[in-house]
Amino acid sequence: MQQSQSVSTKKIMSRRKIIINNFLICTGFLVAATAVATVFSYISDSLINVSMFYILSVLMIARYTDGYVPGIIASIVCTVFINLVFTYPYMELNFHMRGYPITFLCMLTVATITSAATTRMKAQSIILNEREKLLMEAEKEKMRANLLRAISHDLRTPLTSIIGTSSTYLENSDTLSDSEKSALIQNISDDSNWLLNMVENLLSITRIRDGNTQVTKIPEPLEEVVSAAVLRLKKRIPTAIIKVQVPDDFIMIPMDATLIEQVLINLMENAFYHGNSNMPIHLNTYIQDNMAWFQVSDYGPGIPGDRLSTIFDGATYTSQSTDSRKGMGIGLSICKTIISAHNGKITASNIADGARITFNLPLGG
Amino acid sequence: MTPKVTALIIEDEKSIRSFIETTLNANGYKVFTAASGQEGLSFATSNCPDVILLDLGLPDIDGLHIIKQIREWSVLPIIVISARTQEKEKVAALDAGADDYITKPFGTSELLARIRTALRHHHLQTSGSGKMPNLAYQYGGLIIDYEKRLVTLNGQTIHLTQIEYKLVTLLARYSGKVLTYDYIINQIWGPYADHNNQILRVNMAHIRRKLEVNPAEPQYIFTEIGVGYRMQESQIE
Repeated sequence: MQQSQSVSTKKIMSRRKIIINNFLICTGFLVAATAVATVFSYISDSLINVSMFYILSVLMIARYTDGYVPGIIASIVCTVFINLVFTYPYMELNFHMRGYPITFLCMLTVATITSAATTRMKAQSIILNEREKLLMEAEKEKMRANLLRAISHDLRTPLTSIIGTSSTYLENSDTLSDSEKSALIQNISDDSNWLLNMVENLLSITRIRDGNTQVTKIPEPLEEVVSAAVLRLKKRIPTAIIKVQVPDDFIMIPMDATLIEQVLINLMENAFYHGNSNMPIHLNTYIQDNMAWFQVSDYGPGIPGDRLSTIFDGATYTSQSTDSRKGMGIGLSICKTIISAHNGKITASNIADGARITFNLPLGG
Repeated sequence: MTPKVTALIIEDEKSIRSFIETTLNANGYKVFTAASGQEGLSFATSNCPDVILLDLGLPDIDGLHIIKQIREWSVLPIIVISARTQEKEKVAALDAGADDYITKPFGTSELLARIRTALRHHHLQTSGSGKMPNLAYQYGGLIIDYEKRLVTLNGQTIHLTQIEYKLVTLLARYSGKVLTYDYIINQIWGPYADHNNQILRVNMAHIRRKLEVNPAEPQYIFTEIGVGYRMQESQIE
């Protein structure tokens, strides 16, 4: 309601603006034409040139204003003006002059044709613009739909498992042994934890407005963010072994700590599920070239070569992995969005015995 | 038989309410529940429970308002239940007088630990001269002797500066409880200190390097991102 009201006021505003604009253009050209014509009539005394200048000004007015009205008004004004100022009797209207209607008709025709051409041109360019906007909108919509599909796919698998497991428990609680029961509950607990992380990832994205660099950055100590991330991951996956290394120096990095914590957790979680889970995950941090660098490495099979460049796009996983937990899902594309919003870079590479994700954050200053 | 500790849960989500209720009942608490802020407030005023668990996102009254209302007449422990991404709300709740917070989702052991900690600090505060406050902090290899002003780690004396010692003992006295940046700065540097918390961060980094084996994997003092610090709860009862 309010919006429509503001739109209509905007329309009124813009119409008023157009009218003022048209008026200014009209006056400008007419004054110019009159000035030139006056000068000319003093020099040569030829009425033809005077009407030429006025025709030219009518043409210009019709070209540079919106709609037919200004051109028509201008042509009327011009004929009256010529009659009044430049023909005998001066400063008096004389409608009995021969050829007078022809001058008027000529002016009117010039004004109308030019206005028609201009209006059509403008309408066409508006249509073109709109079509382009629609195309972009469709592209955005497509991306959104892809993301939504990816999310739904990722959410469905654990939900199916939770529903299945809980109904197994409810329907067979008499026959199940205690260890079977706790195994079922453990499944539910694992899946719901995973779901929660996914939802938190999605919530993280909403903190970044329009994917622009609109995160609120506050200087945070590197070691505190790293330790908080490691602690939270260990709470979720107690079996994970993580070897962490931070610089000896005290380093503050401008960032949204909650988002960077999320990135670190995603990367460590990926490393845990993809690497050989008996081996430790390495989280190394160091400072180089006024940047803070974070490296998460695992001892897994590495990343297939053809996926290295597209791994952060979030679209590559659907065809290859059926188990969404093993798939990197949208986690990595969310990491990229967060890092980009911090003006950092994230890259994937294979090292001698596993995969490594590296990202950097500017230290600022 | 000692009378049961009464807990009031103010939470609008039925499933979360019932899960907390079940857990607390199973652990010997007498539990009351309220599904709205209004109901919770009137119950708190008429029955005066020993501890309140309060969800910040209630449909009728802002959780902060409830904390302020209760703080007008009571110092009973209030533990706030909040979502992870609401650091600002957490800090506001703590500054308004909440004793601690717990982030959704939480396990039962975490919930029970928070309640125990809050009750213990509450007793220390209110029993006054009746009971001597703890003379020492101990967790694992870390011992802080308040009387001798001595900090030892695995038998080795740790040399702390004046400010560092004040910081560590402040956290230790409230061990298990989160302290916000502003609260710590007020306590250590006074109310007129610059509330830019960089100086606090730097001092904490120094302490970490003296106490922790790996500053990235702390054993004693933990960072609550965007909120403050929490020290591992003392093993001395």
